[in-house]
Amino acid sequence: MAIATTEHYRAYTPKPFTRAERDSVTILFGGLHWRIERVLQAVLENSGYRARVLPIATKEDLLTGREVADIGQCCPTSFTTGNLVNFLRGEVKQIGAQEVAKRYIYLTAGSCGACRFGQYHQSYELALRNSGLDAFRMFLMAQDQLDQKAAMGDGLDLNLPMTLGCLWGIFCTDLVQDLEYQVRPYEVVPGQTDAVVKDSVEYLYEVFRNRPARTPYKAVFWHLTTPYFTRALREVYRKFSEIEVDRLRVKPKVKITGEFYLQTVEGDPNYNIHRWLEAEGAEVYPAAITVWMDYLLRLGLQRFEDYSGIEKGARLKLGLGRVAQGIYRWTFNRLRRAMGSLPHEIPSQFELRRLAAPYFHSRLDGGEGDMLVGKALWAYHRKKAHMICELSPYSCMPNTMSIGAMAGVIGKYPDLLYAPLEIKGDAEVHALSRCQMILTEAKKRAQREFDDVLARTGLTVDEVRASLDAHPEMKRATYRVPHGDAAGTAADLVLHVADRLGRR
Amino acid sequence: MGLFGALGIDPRNVVFSSDTSEEQGRQFGKGRGTVDCCYPVKCISGHYGELVFGQKQKLDILFSPMIYTLPSFMSGHVARTLTCPRVMAAPENIKAGFLKEADVFAEAGIKYVTPFVSLDEPPLVPKQLFEGFQGVLPGLTREEMAKAVGEGYQALHAFNDRLRRKSREVLEWCAREDRACLLVLARPYHMDPGIGHEIEVDLQAYGYPILWMQYFPTDPDLMDWAFGEDIRAGFIKSPFDIRDVWPSSYSSNTNEILWGAKVAARIPWIACVVRLSSYECGMDQPTYTPVQQIIERSGTLFFSFQDLDSTKPAGSVKIRVETITHYLEKYAREIIARKKAAMAPGCPLAQR
Repeated sequence: MAIATTEHYRAYTPKPFTRAERDSVTILFGGLHWRIERVLQAVLENSGYRARVLPIATKEDLLTGREVADIGQCCPTSFTTGNLVNFLRGEVKQIGAQEVAKRYIYLTAGSCGACRFGQYHQSYELALRNSGLDAFRMFLMAQDQLDQKAAMGDGLDLNLPMTLGCLWGIFCTDLVQDLEYQVRPYEVVPGQTDAVVKDSVEYLYEVFRNRPARTPYKAVFWHLTTPYFTRALREVYRKFSEIEVDRLRVKPKVKITGEFYLQTVEGDPNYNIHRWLEAEGAEVYPAAITVWMDYLLRLGLQRFEDYSGIEKGARLKLGLGRVAQGIYRWTFNRLRRAMGSLPHEIPSQFELRRLAAPYFHSRLDGGEGDMLVGKALWAYHRKKAHMICELSPYSCMPNTMSIGAMAGVIGKYPDLLYAPLEIKGDAEVHALSRCQMILTEAKKRAQREFDDVLARTGLTVDEVRASLDAHPEMKRATYRVPHGDAAGTAADLVLHVADRLGRR
Repeated sequence: MGLFGALGIDPRNVVFSSDTSEEQGRQFGKGRGTVDCCYPVKCISGHYGELVFGQKQKLDILFSPMIYTLPSFMSGHVARTLTCPRVMAAPENIKAGFLKEADVFAEAGIKYVTPFVSLDEPPLVPKQLFEGFQGVLPGLTREEMAKAVGEGYQALHAFNDRLRRKSREVLEWCAREDRACLLVLARPYHMDPGIGHEIEVDLQAYGYPILWMQYFPTDPDLMDWAFGEDIRAGFIKSPFDIRDVWPSSYSSNTNEILWGAKVAARIPWIACVVRLSSYECGMDQPTYTPVQQIIERSGTLFFSFQDLDSTKPAGSVKIRVETITHYLEKYAREIIARKKAAMAPGCPLAQR
């Protein structure tokens, strides 16, 4: 029987992070992909903080996460908890637990709508306690709440210039990532794309690290009007232009969707699915963080839609929100133009909502909600991909609901190639073989589409290749092949060449 | 019933699906599942199937609202009162199983009505329900719906008040007789005999009064006695504030479970807490340790039945029930005495 104490149980409350500690304390963070993590580090350093990116989570981290926290966690939490604990254990060995608690704090995303992800402070707390790190400071940032001072002290000032820096960092790295995935499967010199991307991200790191300081209001105006970032992206575009590509390789295009963490990270947490798909001969269409944030904006504004006519000022707030949404998209497109409009556009949230409406209600939040259904239908109807690869953590509460609703979508569109993968961290072979089955069909479809396009245009591969040889600029990674009525890159290229040769 | 009655629907024309059972799932829900998830959501296929295929008289409407927020007694004291993401989205998920081959509802001539409802935002509810019933109930006006919603809330409050009064009577009896009672910490669907498997009924058969946390009395005198000291010490701002044990208070039922654990730790006559949790419940999962810690630190007995699924594990439940009652028999008096000694004087339960 338990022993009674006179003290009631209280939750873990970290000691605040104070302004005076800024020079001596390093902020740890992670859980995204390496490009944005590196640029966020630059934003934090630009704002006067010491920042360090946690190493990419591994299977060892998964096992540690399962070991030190409560049973039954979803796998993103096991990965991130274990990742933090293993990093701290390594530091403890070198400088001791007391010093670690003094020198580091951990910052991570908190709330996620109705999902339990926002309630995992308990798991982190338990993991830290079980690792002898009770005094370590960890702070959760609610995704819909910026002012965290009450909880974390005045050490971290999430002010407007820093928030804008993070946002612009997301835009820029999304654009780089998108182009990278369009180019790498077709590169003539293996490894060239990776080298250019590494170079570009390091370049962006410096750009964001040296971002001029502005007062909050001036920062808004400056970010919206400055050529500082467009110039930087034009330089990235120039770096990409050195890559020669062979777009006549017929590859199925696979769009990644799913739970935010799993669709974003690149590594063991999602079985390295991006690289695995490329190795299997696919072109990956990655999931942009920009789209996720646009979705969050839409979710927030839906509240005002619902309260229009009920709550005073709701219409005005909705109108202002729509303006903000417009500025958001305008900014992304402005930066996208600096990259030659090569990266994919962000889909309209209204279109995604409309497409998903018969299958999933737009107000159901948690996970990707109706956007998961909307994106699959958007990619299908607009021929953006041959196949959808949907990554869902094992036992993810909101995503299983959206996936279940997809049964209705597949019922109506049986030729939509949809591979929902349940990711547990282990059981990799099972998930990948499932994906491989659908990918095989996608490959056949891409080849069929390519053959149909050749037949339609009356061109042969040799004729297309000869045309490309006659126009070497078309073999540059930065040459823009317009999106025709094919999903595949090779088929679109044939259509484009046919247009140029007047064969259509 | 308050809502439908006010809309002029004859109560005899409102049909509820029966309690959950494995048989119901087998007979009416087989092959309709679209994903593997917790039983409280999975079993809804059987409920839908029973309403569509298992009625003597054909139904016109299948009403299954998507409930986004719950009207909790903790509203205003916590961050949000959201329902579980699976529960709120269940109607969309289960619907897919009835649409994937053919539109079963249309074939049966049934209108499938699943309005999205934020029950903890009363100003919004008439609009949401009116839009949900548009074209379904001919001639329905916004005003009629607003009035009906008002009556629905009144019926709900009256029901809750009645049960809370009953719980208070039980607690006062326990205080008067210095007898132990048990508190059940679970989600509302565990009151369904097919989901909670009537474990609390088995315990009650041994003579121990059972209280459900959802209907625990919230009278100011009792709350002040139980939580006044914590408020004055600055741990919490009100009796329904749980920031001292659970800062991320987004989920309504999770919040109430955490609050129930705090109450159990403070009320001397609650000598034992029984926690029920369904298989794969992601909302319960992060709460296992804090709930147990809150309760056990006060010396209260804590037993949990986790991973409940479709089949009642009758044998193991019987053994567990015997264990629980054995411990209660042996330690209840001691627990009550120790908890009484630890609490402030002047308990309102013991004064009548």
